[in-house]
Amino acid sequence: MSLSRLFSSQIYSNVLKIGAKNEYFGAQSIFQVRCMKTFPNKPNNNQYQKLRDTRNYTYYIMSLVIVAIGCTFAAIPAYRIFCEQTSFGGLTQVAKDFDKIAAMKKCEDRLIRVQFNSDVPSSMRWEFKPQQHEIFVHPGETALAFYTARNPTDKPIIGISSYNLTPFQAAYYFNKIQCFCFEEQILNPGEQVDLPVFFYIDPDYVNDPALEYLDSILLSYTFFEAKSGLKLPDPFDPKNRPTIAQDNRVPTK
Amino acid sequence: MSQTGPFIRVQSVSAPLKGSFPLDHEGTCKLEMLNYMVCLHKNKQQNSECRLNAKEYFTCRMDNGLMDRDEWKKLGYSEEK
Repeated sequence: MSLSRLFSSQIYSNVLKIGAKNEYFGAQSIFQVRCMKTFPNKPNNNQYQKLRDTRNYTYYIMSLVIVAIGCTFAAIPAYRIFCEQTSFGGLTQVAKDFDKIAAMKKCEDRLIRVQFNSDVPSSMRWEFKPQQHEIFVHPGETALAFYTARNPTDKPIIGISSYNLTPFQAAYYFNKIQCFCFEEQILNPGEQVDLPVFFYIDPDYVNDPALEYLDSILLSYTFFEAKSGLKLPDPFDPKNRPTIAQDNRVPTK
Repeated sequence: MSQTGPFIRVQSVSAPLKGSFPLDHEGTCKLEMLNYMVCLHKNKQQNSECRLNAKEYFTCRMDNGLMDRDEWKKLGYSEEK
């Protein structure tokens, strides 16, 4: 009696479970059918998940794009700061200040020969030459050098000068404290003046491996004539047109 | 033109730290300048021996209003020299 009863009770309970599941499923499917009837196009859970994933990926990629654009904008000042700090790619050091000069120590083991050269364009009628051919200076030590300029004509002439340093790697360490360049200097007729150049060579010169065997720097000044009140011809002036040379001859006026 | 490229320091002219020397039209400091040049000539163009003469030249310039006054250590002349 017990066995059959056991069996039957088990079967009955299984049937009940199945029935219950069916009922459960039935309820779910009824719910789904109801949902699909009232909201015909509503996506179910799986599609929700896919949509959410797509949305997350979109946000992620968009944020990457925005960060990349921000980096390109930030790169410009960042690169400039990097170049200034490390002198990478050619910028000279900015803001060489007086405290550095006050604190710098002379390097006894390197003696640098600074040679001087002067130039004038052929249209400039000053006589301009250095007072010394060369000067031997230690890095870290301030030095003074002189040029002379004379105006032999009978008219005052205004000059403006620029300078040049060779070789380029050594020129990076050549700092001028005061000189006579980039400003208009007027010389009255027959006048002669001394033009001083006050400079120093940075003590870091000895730490540069490229300059280990380089002991000679050439400083060259060129004096150009500056005409104050000079009015250049307007390139858009219809009367100011280039003439066409005939037979490759330079047209004469 | 020398070589160019990355890692090569390209030279660019820069303005001097203290600007430009005013021209000494009257030649007020010519004597100090000549002393300096004589010293350089005697010492075979060595700058280290003639720094005092340069200092005298700057003193003359400063006294005659041809140069802005500055402390000596800012011009590289420390007190121990």
